[in-house]
Amino acid sequence: MRGAFARKDVLEPMRRSLLLLIMIAGIALIAWSGWKNLSQRRGMLRAQQDSRVDLIPDKQGAVADDSTGGQSQLKGKPAPAFTLANLEGKRVSLSDFKGRPLLINYWGTYCAPCKIEMPWLQEFSKKYAADGFQVVGITYDSEVGRDTIARDTKQLGVTYPILLSDPKVEKDYLSNTEVLPMSFYVNKAGKVIEVTAGAGSKDQLESMVKEIIAAGGN
Amino acid sequence: MNAPATPKDYVQYAAEPQTVAANKLANLEIRFHVVQGFHINSHTPRSKFLIPTTLTLQPATGVKPAMPEFPTGQLYSFAFDPSEKVDVYAGSFTVKLPVVAAAGEHAIDATLRYQACDNASCYPPKTLAVKILFTAR
Repeated sequence: MRGAFARKDVLEPMRRSLLLLIMIAGIALIAWSGWKNLSQRRGMLRAQQDSRVDLIPDKQGAVADDSTGGQSQLKGKPAPAFTLANLEGKRVSLSDFKGRPLLINYWGTYCAPCKIEMPWLQEFSKKYAADGFQVVGITYDSEVGRDTIARDTKQLGVTYPILLSDPKVEKDYLSNTEVLPMSFYVNKAGKVIEVTAGAGSKDQLESMVKEIIAAGGN
Repeated sequence: MNAPATPKDYVQYAAEPQTVAANKLANLEIRFHVVQGFHINSHTPRSKFLIPTTLTLQPATGVKPAMPEFPTGQLYSFAFDPSEKVDVYAGSFTVKLPVVAAAGEHAIDATLRYQACDNASCYPPKTLAVKILFTAR
């Protein structure tokens, strides 16, 4: 009996120590898996954050305020020469319109304001034809293809020349801006007398057309 | 050129961790924010000539997505021609993505394609890479 008690006295602390060790190991395992999970979640959240785009517009709202008065480095200078293909594949040059008041209108098939003002441009091209006034449209997104451009212009009732832009002419006229529409008002002498970014009202547009007609050739 | 300065991108993706029930049809919510002063065409812009907003998904293991559900847009007209109305998203909008996903953590790579305008001008179409992260339990 005494031997049995003695063995129990030795075994009981060992059993307790073993139990304690198992508990510590269990807690450590739980803590490790929790840390691993947290680490994985942090990694995933970091990846998620990476897909965010933080936007700090340089001059937010400037487009709206400046929609019809955007100035260009071209103002007061000769309109840059160009030779571009029209929808029929024929080459058309700026020099083809020499001596005529000209409105060079950059537009895009995706641009709703462009498509609002294009029928107005068409109307003015007819109304002021006797004054030699000419509108030339240059398509910014020429990559959509001639068929799409031709379909759009037909639906808009546009018959003035539509030319397909190229990178050099784009750089000469638009620099780095992506704003559409952009209009360049050129007088009879081939000088750019006004540049507008964005669409304005029909009245504003017509007054600009009258201005380049009246500007003569100086 | 003193042409108006414009932001490089017009839409922000507001990423949020989400949890859905595993192996059951559940909706993920993908929240976007259009920068103030701009709008983008909605998924149904009322004109076949305009570029709709779309979300393209890459396959993800353990996830079966359905077609994304776009919210209804707001009618918008340009001040210089109030008669022409387009359907747009401005401010925040949420795309719902129905999915059935196996238990676990998932990531779906997606691309939002959109075309932005302000009240007088438009800008070329752009894409925004989106990573949708969620847990199914």
